[in-house]
Amino acid sequence: MNKKEISIENNISELNKLQLEINKISKEWNLSPKILFNLNLAIEEVVTNIIFYGFDDDLKHMINIKLFLEHDKIKTQIIDKGKEFNPLEKEAPDHIDKPLEERDIGGLGIHFVKNLMDKVEFKREKNKNILTLIKKIN
Amino acid sequence: MEIIEKKADSFVILNLKGRLDTTNYGELEKKIFELLEKKENNIIIDCEKLDYISSSGLRILLMGLKKFKANKGKFVLCDLQENIKEIFEISGFSSIFDIYESQDEALKA
Repeated sequence: MNKKEISIENNISELNKLQLEINKISKEWNLSPKILFNLNLAIEEVVTNIIFYGFDDDLKHMINIKLFLEHDKIKTQIIDKGKEFNPLEKEAPDHIDKPLEERDIGGLGIHFVKNLMDKVEFKREKNKNILTLIKKIN
Repeated sequence: MEIIEKKADSFVILNLKGRLDTTNYGELEKKIFELLEKKENNIIIDCEKLDYISSSGLRILLMGLKKFKANKGKFVLCDLQENIKEIFEISGFSSIFDIYESQDEALKA
């Protein structure tokens, strides 16, 4: 089983580093462009939420992303020690079919995560949020 | 992300190259405000070289659409890559934006 780990600070500027690392891993694991796109997007949306909403102080906090390559799937775990937050409990965006004036982007990030990944699970363990994303690969 | 601007007919065309995400959406936001201040009315966002978009990017496009429509102008998209088209479908954005296959088609509309 292949395993990779990326650690970034809770800072938007770190997203560039995150994307470069994911791209590198994707080349090594020979992932298709579509899988890479979906992974990049799902991870960015989750990590952005953690950076914006996970911590109430101005201090530096680490966010860990672990990727596991299994024979038929990629498992991604995103781990942070911020406030307890289960993104799956958030209501689905109710504005997807609304006319322009009522459109918003609230909840879209998690909506993407749920739609682009095959399975999403949340666990709160000790003082950590652990979000697991499963993407099947052929 | 690179934004290349040019004019054709009454349209300003913004060619987006690269990614539009949480780290750089501000660049497009700034450009949109500039165009609004210059009283430009018709915008084509050419996405041929746009490889990636996240919800932060969609937020700016939605803002652009709302603002230009409020001024009775146009804010349309063209040449979306397949992965980007899927994101527009999932988010429901494909039903609120006018999306064209090419710049030529967008100019004719």
